[in-house]
Amino acid sequence: MRKYFINLSIIICLAGGFSSCTKTDSLDLTPLSQYSDATIWKDPALIEPFINTIYANNLGSPFNYMRLACYTDEALNGLYGNAFNVNRSLITADSYLEWENGFGSDHTQHFTWDRLYQNVRRENLFFEKIGEATSDDPTWIPRLTGEAYFNRALSYHFLLSLYGGVPIITHSFTLNEDAKSIARNSYADCIDFIVGQLDSAVALLPETYPGTQVGRATKGAALALKARVLLYAASDLHNPAMNSIVSGGYSNPELLGYTDGDAQGRWTAAKNAAKAVIDLNLYSLYKGNPAPGDSVAQNFTDYFISTGTEEDILLQYLSLLGYDDYPALRVAPNGYNGHGSTTPIGELVDDYQMADGRPFSWSDPDMAAKPYEGREPRFYASILYEGAQWRPRPADVVAIDPFGLISVGLVVNGSGQIMVGGLDNREGPINTSNGGYTGYYLRKAVDISFDPTFGNPLQNVPFRHIRYAEVLLNYAEACAELGEDGEARTSVNMIRKRAGLPDLEGSLSGDALREAIRHERRVELAFEDHRYFDVRRWLIGNETFTKTMHRADVKYVVGSPVTSYRKSDGSPWVQPNITNAENGVDVRVFNKEDYFFPIKRSEINKDPALIQNPGYN
Amino acid sequence: MGQLQSLSDQFLTQSRLRRWSEIKIKFMHFKLKGLSSGRRKRLAKTLFRMKLTSLLLLISFLQVAARGTSQEVSLDVKDAPLEKVLQEIHQQSGYMVWYDVDDIRKAKRVTISVKRVSLEEALVTCFKGQPLTYSIVNSTVVVKPRKTESADSTLVQPIPPLEIKGRITDSTGNPLEGVSVRVKGATKGSSTNENGYFVLRDVSEDAELEISSVGFLTQTIKVGSRSTINLTLSRDNVQEELVTISYGTQKKATLTGSMVRVGGEDIRRSPNTNIANNLTGRLPGLSVTTPSGEPGVNNSRLSIRGTNTLGDNSPLIVVDGIPNRSFERINPNDIESITVMKDAMAAIYGSQAANGVIMVTTKRGKAGKPRITIDLSQGYNQPTKTPKMADAAQYAQMLNEISYYGNPSGGLNQRYTPEDITLFQNGTDPWGHPNTDWFGTVFKTWSPQRYANVSMNGGSENMRYFLSIGGRSEDAYYKNSATKYEQYNFRSNIDGKVSKYITVSFDVSGRTEISNFPTVSAEAIFRSLMRGKPNRPAYWPDGSPGPELEFGDQPAVTSTNLTGYDKNKWYRLESRLSVNFIVPWVKGLNIQANASYDKIIQNDKFFQKPWYLYTWDGNPDHVLGKAPKGPNAPALSVLNNDGQNSTVNAYATYETKIADNHHLKVMAGTERNDASNSYMQAERRNFLSAEVDQLFAGATDDLMRNDGYATQTARLNYFGRVNYDFQQKYLFEYVWRYDGSYIFPKNKRFGFFQGFSAGWRISQENLWKDNVSFINDMKIKASWGQTGNDRIGAFQFLSLYQQQGQTFILGVDNDNKRFVELVVPNPNVTWEVAQQTNIGFEAFLLGNHLSVEASYFYNKRSNLLITRGQSTAGLTGYSPPAENIGKVDNKGYEFQVGYQNTAGEWSYNISVNGNFTKNKIVFWDEQPGVPDYQQSTGRPIGSNLYYEAIGIFQDQGDIDKTPHWEGAVPGDIIFKDVNGDGVIDGLDLIRNTHSDLPTFTGGISLGVKFKDIELSALFQGATGAQLYVHPESGEDGNYYKDFADNRWTPDNHSTTYPRAFNGNNEYWRSQSNTYWIQSTDYLRLKNLEVAYNVPLRSSKSIQALRIYANSFNLLTFDKGTLIDPESTTSQLGIPYPPQRIVNFGLSVTF
Repeated sequence: MRKYFINLSIIICLAGGFSSCTKTDSLDLTPLSQYSDATIWKDPALIEPFINTIYANNLGSPFNYMRLACYTDEALNGLYGNAFNVNRSLITADSYLEWENGFGSDHTQHFTWDRLYQNVRRENLFFEKIGEATSDDPTWIPRLTGEAYFNRALSYHFLLSLYGGVPIITHSFTLNEDAKSIARNSYADCIDFIVGQLDSAVALLPETYPGTQVGRATKGAALALKARVLLYAASDLHNPAMNSIVSGGYSNPELLGYTDGDAQGRWTAAKNAAKAVIDLNLYSLYKGNPAPGDSVAQNFTDYFISTGTEEDILLQYLSLLGYDDYPALRVAPNGYNGHGSTTPIGELVDDYQMADGRPFSWSDPDMAAKPYEGREPRFYASILYEGAQWRPRPADVVAIDPFGLISVGLVVNGSGQIMVGGLDNREGPINTSNGGYTGYYLRKAVDISFDPTFGNPLQNVPFRHIRYAEVLLNYAEACAELGEDGEARTSVNMIRKRAGLPDLEGSLSGDALREAIRHERRVELAFEDHRYFDVRRWLIGNETFTKTMHRADVKYVVGSPVTSYRKSDGSPWVQPNITNAENGVDVRVFNKEDYFFPIKRSEINKDPALIQNPGYN
Repeated sequence: MGQLQSLSDQFLTQSRLRRWSEIKIKFMHFKLKGLSSGRRKRLAKTLFRMKLTSLLLLISFLQVAARGTSQEVSLDVKDAPLEKVLQEIHQQSGYMVWYDVDDIRKAKRVTISVKRVSLEEALVTCFKGQPLTYSIVNSTVVVKPRKTESADSTLVQPIPPLEIKGRITDSTGNPLEGVSVRVKGATKGSSTNENGYFVLRDVSEDAELEISSVGFLTQTIKVGSRSTINLTLSRDNVQEELVTISYGTQKKATLTGSMVRVGGEDIRRSPNTNIANNLTGRLPGLSVTTPSGEPGVNNSRLSIRGTNTLGDNSPLIVVDGIPNRSFERINPNDIESITVMKDAMAAIYGSQAANGVIMVTTKRGKAGKPRITIDLSQGYNQPTKTPKMADAAQYAQMLNEISYYGNPSGGLNQRYTPEDITLFQNGTDPWGHPNTDWFGTVFKTWSPQRYANVSMNGGSENMRYFLSIGGRSEDAYYKNSATKYEQYNFRSNIDGKVSKYITVSFDVSGRTEISNFPTVSAEAIFRSLMRGKPNRPAYWPDGSPGPELEFGDQPAVTSTNLTGYDKNKWYRLESRLSVNFIVPWVKGLNIQANASYDKIIQNDKFFQKPWYLYTWDGNPDHVLGKAPKGPNAPALSVLNNDGQNSTVNAYATYETKIADNHHLKVMAGTERNDASNSYMQAERRNFLSAEVDQLFAGATDDLMRNDGYATQTARLNYFGRVNYDFQQKYLFEYVWRYDGSYIFPKNKRFGFFQGFSAGWRISQENLWKDNVSFINDMKIKASWGQTGNDRIGAFQFLSLYQQQGQTFILGVDNDNKRFVELVVPNPNVTWEVAQQTNIGFEAFLLGNHLSVEASYFYNKRSNLLITRGQSTAGLTGYSPPAENIGKVDNKGYEFQVGYQNTAGEWSYNISVNGNFTKNKIVFWDEQPGVPDYQQSTGRPIGSNLYYEAIGIFQDQGDIDKTPHWEGAVPGDIIFKDVNGDGVIDGLDLIRNTHSDLPTFTGGISLGVKFKDIELSALFQGATGAQLYVHPESGEDGNYYKDFADNRWTPDNHSTTYPRAFNGNNEYWRSQSNTYWIQSTDYLRLKNLEVAYNVPLRSSKSIQALRIYANSFNLLTFDKGTLIDPESTTSQLGIPYPPQRIVNFGLSVTF
């Protein structure tokens, strides 16, 4: 009987245990590692991280392996052994090629329709939800709102610059909401929308942030972005009087630019917008008035590795923890175990003037004999060339080059046979496949004190998205187009003064002045993500692009056999023969359709109301 | 002796010849009775001698076997031994001669010359003056000592009674206990002990023994003259065997669902450390692909009846009744069986069952003395196939060609001169012109693996136990490999009978799985090996490691532990308590309750340190520069995962018979499952030294970080089953489950799933029994039902924001969090529904020796969770959630034909199985406006878009007259202008009809056992799958040798291979096209095992000893694929190739 009792109690216990764990509401779990919608939008402390995502996705990863400079006449990326297919006009409505698929194409990926519209959704969500938030700090929510306006403007600015007029979406789509008949807005509408967003941002954003928040959009950043947006809008590509090469025969020219003729008004708006930044009196050029003893090249170098100066309007900082990109490692020469990507091409290097302001020319025998002597300071701060003094070599090759001199050349005998290849050449002893093809490496924004290795790739240098020099150049360009030559020259001369160069000739005007300003912009803002857009808005794609690019061919022709690249004291065996050679691997093509990106065929399939850009089917 | 006997059985077909030796043997037994021990020894010697004698006799018999039988004899011998003369008489007359060897040796030599005299006459002459005499009994000549009267009387009995001894084992040589050994038609009988031995006394020669055991085919054997009968019983396929099913057991005869089972003994034939691989080809309907053989990696892709969903196809794993346990690393010696449920009867597992269920059952104790089994094995593995790559000279030439294509004016020697290429070729300059075989340098030929296990099994009627403890290790292909897998496991399954009505089972098992990896992933190492340039040294001639490919990457070093280590330990502790209560008050009612608690602890330690590579400056003094690579100081990252999984269930089963013929069984129960995991991670860098690899030793700087997160799950459900059969003839089964899961919103949380099946054992019908006697059992069965698949991300009904791993940096170095919206919530998200129909039959023919089973299935999946990514315009900017909109049909058939039989001491079996599946997307989110030939709808899952490669441009003229990709040059691949618009663009992509999963898979297994020797083989094959092989060749990596050998060159125009390419630079590299597709149809000898069960004579301490050698993937036949046909590829090359293993082992039972 007792046994039965025990048995029975086991059964009862089990049954009791069961009834307690079979309550269905015990299945109401909540995710442990995510935040719910309701939590996020109540609290600005949680909204701020949401805005942070928008920034990160709008700014991209500009120091990436495949920098935007590699899609311009600034640089060649040797990754594929020759120019990117994108640079050979092979983009189609079916594929953006390396732009979106290539190894390390994170940055260019963010310059695409889908990615930018993802940001637009985030921005729209913000505006729909921010009303739910409350904060004890009365400045917090307005500031976040201002940041959202700034970012929505930035997303649309990129969309507009890449695709022309795009659908202006200002609400967040709900699941299964119909998006099959949304048409593109005109270019002009888009500009108006962006400018409106920036005006709202200007009204809400602070002029400065406390130290730990620097990097967020300020009033100055919004004004400066507005100046850039209006400058682009006024440019030839969008000017119906100028852009027939692109819009000619296209049934929807309003998508590509303005269709009325008030170019003056647009330049004026651009000028005024730039002036508004200048008038803030918050910004000035870093070491804009170099003292007589100053090394101007060093000033320029220091500026680009600094973490913030009076010149900076919008910076993007990088994480030391390796989340972001590896700027120093990406561009370092192969002889320093670097990736050797983003190598400046001859065309850019040649555009750096002589120190006295004369243009450099290979046809000048003196200049050609010693092409790296007597150049302007920005050259020395931006370009690594044959014989340039750089940092100590890695341990395994320090014996080969104890001096840390850039070695992109070859030592050959009289019959042209290679005796020794330079460490930074593709014939050197290390990492040959990472060697550059151009005879140059990038120095700008690289911290010489930083030893980039794959295990320690990060240098703590921010990317400069907007800086005062750009505002001055924007201003100068608008002034020049309006015929206000004096104002334009003054502005450019501020840049040249900081660069240690003489002023522009006082008589410079018209086309010559335009060229001078464009030249200044190319050199001053090189590798800062401007050239890609400048080439397009100036309608100069064909002249800058469709050709075989040049490289520096460096050869030391020695009479008797040698076993090292330089003499033991670091001096060369003989003066090098440096020639401006065609770079067979860098042949580029630019067709008129390349002024705009195609909308993907798949996107048009989903939304047939979208009209394709000219030149794509 | 037994051995020899069967040898003669094999060769001698004429019974008279066999009798000769049999008689001698029997006589010996007769003589053995009542002897002293001293004589026994002597007799043992004699026995041995007799073995030899009979062998000789056997040979001579063979020579004369053709002669006829006659009662007249002719003899002509001089001074011959009597024995020889008697042989001659036997041969001529056909009469048996029976004598004692000891006696006959005393006989005098005989001289006789007679022609065609009677047998009697000849015998009289022969025995004249001999100390022996003879008598003729029937057709036997019995020789006896002349003076022994008593012997005489014994000999009068024609057949003396015998004692039969023997041992019964199963097909793997394991002893079978409790096997009934009975004399047919008599009451006399015995059964085997725990070691399989039996003794049966006083059995006559005429007797027939019937040997039977539940679950095995009954065998009948004539005693004849044997004294020892060792037999192997084959498993019976039908009968009353109880098989483990979900929440209970059932008689195999009454099963109506589609299930297939493999016993532990077959799983153990394969020497894999991951038992999922051991299932390949053994279970029709289950496909296992092993894309990587990396030790310690569980990545086998299991799918039941092909691909049924666009989502997760993996089946539910149930180990000892507990769902979602890990099974790949279970000790194979602990496994009793693995059963696969393939059809709608898996509905009892509800919303997790749509992809089928794999049920693993572990061994339990059997009553008896403790039996201790020790298993030891030593194996060696190597890659099945390593890619053959171009050599240095070829590679240099191809780089020259690349330069030439980029700049034709520069000629064909822009990089390497002809002298360079000669030097690469002849190997005379190993410093300057090396020729490196990267795979050959980094791999060793064979990598060892070891296994050891001890198990103990036994108990009394009230308490039974199965205990095991073991370990194994496995090394990787690399020389000085950092990759190594180690495992330690134990299991204790105890069943206690508390009372007449209550049985309690208490199981505990634990496992430590230690995977050691280098700090560089296998994928990265293999990428480097493929990229490894043959013209760069892996090692300099002085033995120092050569320079990096880039970023410090050098596979000869990074595959070793010189870079630090990544040690990943998983500790699993699984426990289960179950109580079975036979309700005494209600006959047939039984309540079972189970509670399990599994604990999982993962501990990963990733310790990196700088490694050193050497660079040569090109000087003839060959001084190498040494530099650190990798992190500039040691760094450590640790991860801890603390997880648990608990399941409680209880169910009641009521079984009754109504009016004797109606058998009814009803079961109902409930189950609750909860699991949670929490993770913690910490990292420090800049260690002062690599000596101490603990967190404290790292720097407390800005690079120090920590992280943590957690997950949880909960499920609750109610289930039941009804079985009904009428005389085991008409069978019916119904299962249901009301299933609730945390994954779905409250109003969609519970679902009802059910399955019906019916069977008709047509062979039970009298009409059949009378007329179709050669078919012993025939069952026709069908099932239909609905199951669910909930394998999607949880909480898709909520609007959630997730923190991103990356931070947003402000003010130089302030990390700020980033939140991102996950998906747009779908408030209606619920499980996929699978409607599964199965029709099949199973039959057992020819005395159950032949089994045939076939089934046809039709699975209609609906409510598939599809994201409308294809039709959602990018401008909406959202990530669409999964919605229940997709539909997929999957049809197919599978079959298994097996034959098993024994012939004397031979037993053999052969089984062929195969399954063919074909799936079709009926509906999913198709991009609008896509032409029909590009749509996935109506085509199989996983088929991709490709340009169709139709040839090679030979010259500019070719290009000009053919629609071509912009910039095409001679040597490029021609893409087909599919839509004929004269332009090659995205509209010329066509959807392929194959994926990387096969449509047909099959296996042939063979087993042969002769006495103590066993051989088993498993061939396995698959067809219909294909692979996209696209190496990262060019300046950044080497080419496949096949490509290098056959490529198009300016001098040698190929019409099938394109020119040398550089990375993804050419359009036919960046655009997916059919040129790179390879068929992976293959047939391979998956498994081959030879085993010898050492016959043990008088030793009592050792019960069984088995020595074996087995192998995995020994031979492969394929269409010349560049890599292993079961492997996969990615943009960055190949994964760790599957293994070929040879293994030697022994198993000893005490």
